[in-house]
Amino acid sequence: MNLKELTQSVGELEEEKVLEMLNNFVASNPSEEEAGKAVAACQEGMAEVGDLFEKGEYFVGDLIFAGELLTEAINVLKPVIGSGDTTKVGTIVLGTVHGDLHDIGKNIFKSMAEAAGFEVHDIGIDQPVQAFIDIVKEVKPNIVGMSGVLTLALEAMKDTVDGLKEAGLRDSVKVIIGGNPVTKEACLHIGADSFTTNAAEGVKISQGWVK
Amino acid sequence: MVENAQSKNQLFIDIDEGKIPKRVPVYTWMDITYIMQYAGVDLRKAQWDVDKFKDMIEIGAKSFQSDINPATFTRIQPVYNILGAQNFVMSSEGQIQHPEITGMGPEDYDEMIADPYKYTHDKILPRLYKNLDTTPEEKAKVFAKAFKAHSDIFGQIFAHHDLMNEKYGLANDRVGCQTVAPFDQVADQFRSFTGISSDIRRCPDKVVAACEAVTPMMLKAGVKPHSSRQKRTFIPLHMAPYMREKDFEKFYWPTFKALIEGLWENGAAPLLFVEQDWTRYLDYLNELPAGTQMMFEYGDPKVIKEKVGKKHIVTGLYPLTLLARGTKQECIDKAKEIVDILAPGGNYIFTFDKVAINIKDANPENIIAVNEFVKEYGVY
Repeated sequence: MNLKELTQSVGELEEEKVLEMLNNFVASNPSEEEAGKAVAACQEGMAEVGDLFEKGEYFVGDLIFAGELLTEAINVLKPVIGSGDTTKVGTIVLGTVHGDLHDIGKNIFKSMAEAAGFEVHDIGIDQPVQAFIDIVKEVKPNIVGMSGVLTLALEAMKDTVDGLKEAGLRDSVKVIIGGNPVTKEACLHIGADSFTTNAAEGVKISQGWVK
Repeated sequence: MVENAQSKNQLFIDIDEGKIPKRVPVYTWMDITYIMQYAGVDLRKAQWDVDKFKDMIEIGAKSFQSDINPATFTRIQPVYNILGAQNFVMSSEGQIQHPEITGMGPEDYDEMIADPYKYTHDKILPRLYKNLDTTPEEKAKVFAKAFKAHSDIFGQIFAHHDLMNEKYGLANDRVGCQTVAPFDQVADQFRSFTGISSDIRRCPDKVVAACEAVTPMMLKAGVKPHSSRQKRTFIPLHMAPYMREKDFEKFYWPTFKALIEGLWENGAAPLLFVEQDWTRYLDYLNELPAGTQMMFEYGDPKVIKEKVGKKHIVTGLYPLTLLARGTKQECIDKAKEIVDILAPGGNYIFTFDKVAINIKDANPENIIAVNEFVKEYGVY
């Protein structure tokens, strides 16, 4: 299989072509090493999707579809990837803060972060401060990601960061916030380490933290 | 100048007739939940307490220096409760929101397209409203109960609005009913954001046909006996900024344009909430029939005024978030900046870039200061 072509087809969101290539590949009985390379090629394609989003050629709907495509691709590859531990680059706790029920952006970030090799613990929507504290204590992540769409989510994000501080957990994690209302000013007010309205950029920031 | 309801109404009538009004009209729009919190009542209780809705309407009328009463009811909890709504759900803190839901699987496109009314009634509504997922007899009962509650509650709301407008000398409510762009209907209520994003790639022809199939329903919802330029049809736009232009052109625009033209042809005047950033689509918006009111959330006010402000009524673009944490002076300076760009030549109503829904969205004192400023500064 031509890995460059695979990367390109993922980047161009050519679903039929990607699945056809991968099905043929799996039928050829590849080694685990070869399968690992195919996964990496898909991940590179996903990074291209992120770049195209940043350039304004792709939009949120395209990112959502990219997430779906990647999930499908990994499912096809699963039987040949093997059971060995895949390399985990870091752990992220992710949730939509209390008062807010929106999760589309969070889910896009999740699929892109997983594609980049992060272990993601998604605690869901409308999550109280205590839920973030509990999961941080349990899984000891590198990064906490908070999401929200409504303006009121900004105050809830601040509550959550304050809660992490009071629980003595704030210094053990990096905090990134994402969603429609986040800005540099909001980031300072909340006490997060970084902010983004672009899931691909959020993954890049996260990668920078676990290097 | 002493202002009363009549002179305030005249400001809007002038705008609607393409004349320059005496001053920039000020139209602050709040969800009733903002006013409930301003009044110091708990949202989780107050949204059930229909008897107190009148008090909230009065507080809206007298408190914020808007020419139109900001108090707006869109999501009525008792009605959603009767229906068992899955598509509008109250959060832990009481704000009712629209979660990502799916009312229709991708395999059902053909059935929906063949008879959208029947499919909506038989299949989609019971999925979106779990208390309708029952026997036909029970379903009819739940439906009747919900509609009775809906008309009783809105009957009170509208009557009290009129009373308060008279008492406090405000202009009439500007929204008469609501509809949705056909593509947004198929996305938000039928297939979900996630579902539609795949469908436009996997079964593009069916998505086009689905949008065409629901257009007559959307048109019907948007035309009422009292529809006019002063009683507009509100359309909150959703999906377009999240699509590529070539997808927008194929899937979103044709039926949306047909809807807007259909509304005008039937005597209804649209009021669009242009959510997110539509900079890429300003030339399309300029193709719509003249006098369409557009409330913009983001974008460069100069570019928007230049591209659509000659033909259409432009509003919005004042950042609500500034009102949350800015000083009074910062807020007023911003208002001056926006009014200086958008007011010249008329075709402009001062509004914020989005509806305030939660007290954390905006400091009420800043709202009042800005509105008072615009009324004085925005004299033509």
